[in-house]
Amino acid sequence: MTSAQERADLLSKIGLDAQNKAALGRVLGTGSIGQATERADGRMEATIRIRPDELGWDPSILVMPHGGDIELELINDDLNTHCALLPSNGDRKFIWLVNHSRGRATLNLDGPGYYWFSSPTGNDEGRGLTGAIVVLGDVPPEARLDRPDQPRP
Amino acid sequence: MTVEYVDAGEAVDQGTLNYKTPGGDVAPPVVSNVTYERILNARSEPQNWLTYYGAYNGQRYSPLDQINTDNVKRILPAWVFQAGTTGMIAGASTYSFEAAPVVVDGVMFLAGWDGWVWALDAKTGVEIWRYKHAIPYDVSLCCGNVNRGVAVAKGKVFFVTANAHVLALDATTGKRVWDKTYGDVRAGESATVAPLIVKNMVIVGSSGGEFGVRGHLDAFDLDTGEHQWRCYTVPKPGEPGSETWPADGEAWARGGANCWITGTFDPETNLLYVGTGNPAPDFDGGVREGDNLYTDSIIAVDVDAGEIRWHYQCTPHDVWDYDSIGECILFESDGRKLLGHFDKNGYFFVVDRTNGSLVQITPFVDRITWGAITRDGRVTPKVYPDKEGEPVHFYPGPAGAKEWTHAAYSPKTGLFYVPVQDVGATATRRRREFKESIPYWGAGVQVDIEDMTGSISAFDANGEEKWRWRNELPMCASVLATGGDLVFAGEPSGEFNALDARTGELLWQFQCGSGHHSNPTTYMVDGRQYIAVPVGWGAWAEGFLPGMLGAGHGSALIVFALPETS
Repeated sequence: MTSAQERADLLSKIGLDAQNKAALGRVLGTGSIGQATERADGRMEATIRIRPDELGWDPSILVMPHGGDIELELINDDLNTHCALLPSNGDRKFIWLVNHSRGRATLNLDGPGYYWFSSPTGNDEGRGLTGAIVVLGDVPPEARLDRPDQPRP
Repeated sequence: MTVEYVDAGEAVDQGTLNYKTPGGDVAPPVVSNVTYERILNARSEPQNWLTYYGAYNGQRYSPLDQINTDNVKRILPAWVFQAGTTGMIAGASTYSFEAAPVVVDGVMFLAGWDGWVWALDAKTGVEIWRYKHAIPYDVSLCCGNVNRGVAVAKGKVFFVTANAHVLALDATTGKRVWDKTYGDVRAGESATVAPLIVKNMVIVGSSGGEFGVRGHLDAFDLDTGEHQWRCYTVPKPGEPGSETWPADGEAWARGGANCWITGTFDPETNLLYVGTGNPAPDFDGGVREGDNLYTDSIIAVDVDAGEIRWHYQCTPHDVWDYDSIGECILFESDGRKLLGHFDKNGYFFVVDRTNGSLVQITPFVDRITWGAITRDGRVTPKVYPDKEGEPVHFYPGPAGAKEWTHAAYSPKTGLFYVPVQDVGATATRRRREFKESIPYWGAGVQVDIEDMTGSISAFDANGEEKWRWRNELPMCASVLATGGDLVFAGEPSGEFNALDARTGELLWQFQCGSGHHSNPTTYMVDGRQYIAVPVGWGAWAEGFLPGMLGAGHGSALIVFALPETS
């Protein structure tokens, strides 16, 4: 068992969090974590980058405080072309991200729960360009069960 | 020197990257005049399949007879729609194509797994529009990433999502009109049911019976999405039926009885007939002594009030996972208004649908060892998981002698056609604490992978078996009956069969490349009859047929017709 810091250190020491060290790519879920910011109107925003030769999203886990609309800025600082396929109610959102490009995506997501997004080209997804969007919160009160509060794990 | 970024623009809907002819992404407004009255008389327009079962009576019967016993051997695939799966989806290894394709005047509306809905040209299979709801990867799913279909009315397409939303889409564009949450995913609730339109309401039920939730039906206004009523299927303390639960503790609050299969409706009784699911925990009855109403029951719900008027419990105090969610087929016999129901417990029940009184009970599968039900309805359990850690083997297994997949009834032949699964299982009681969102079975369960069989069996309303078409494997897909005296039934091994409705003789067969666990339907466009069958093996295969867990997962809709004449 490892503490959070020990885990980060061990990931780095073994080389699980980088390209072509321990595994061929970067093991999913080993990247950074970021939080979306919320505007006064309840819409959220965040920036996600692809850094040179990392083949990972930064952050690779983006946390939204609640369900709703989020505006993403997507920046490809890498020296190769990637793309993004992102979850959104209505249809998934797709964008090409050529080398050194910047684009935008507007998503609508329910909460709570988490969703994957990726760069569906070549095997970007397996190399590390698969990230998660986590939505916090609860369902509306009217949707909950009429019963006493129950124990949770 | 700083180099400016290339402007990559705004992300687009993925569906726009699927070529369409100009204007080809808008469906003709065929649903705009689909009203309650049209659905009431759905079988008077046999070219269409307007609602989940084809009609409110749940018969899964179409009077279309262009394809019939004489010419069915000539039918061929007319077109195939393949959606495929991409990316990481919830229950990625368990998705299955279970829908009943709904067709209105040449346009097909189809639901897939993981939040997909499509409008297709019913003559060519060309996609008109798609809707994709984002489904959380971590949503609780007992039995796979599945959805059983859409409802249509008043210009809208209605469907539920795995994270327990009910949505209305514009039927011409697929754009969202309204979206309501009706279940709590943090409690382990989800949704898989095909909605039912009654009057100006869309009616849906909840899933999650394996997670210790409290089952319910909900009704929403078609136009606005405003909530109309909720009907809980487990009573609170003090309510009628609460005496069938332990007086102390909160077993009722975790009691299950989810309505995860579409109900049927009789406008004369104004009653909605719905089968309810298993009690929770599924196999540990010691924590919920009593009959546990209204689990494993046929309930008749006043569709205006959302209140239970009568019930018939098929398996009191169930400890075998024998949901009674199976369809309630409405039919008339000797002037009586009756309801036929094939239960997971292996018995075929016929009740008077005006008051729930029992008319007859007949076993419809050869091996029933869990207990016995006498002709007058007396239930005697015989074999059940009772002692902690002691394995108990019983027939039928927890998927039932018939799973959720539907029987059909032909008013032309007067026969019911039921897909039968004859497979057993072993359950070992393992008591556990209840924790919200964690599976709450109360046992370890292993379904047999040997010594299994199946059939399509034909019964009359008196419970007399008229014929049986035998199969080596259990039959796990819904049956379709037609005016051409045909019964269509898919096999787990991929064959799609046409049987003679009067004799059970196999008349035609096509290997679809993946197992069947869906609802075939039939319709007509420009004078040509089509048979549509979603094909895609998966879902709770470890429950109904673990011997086929290694089979390939398809995801195709295959549509058959007679060759076009020049």
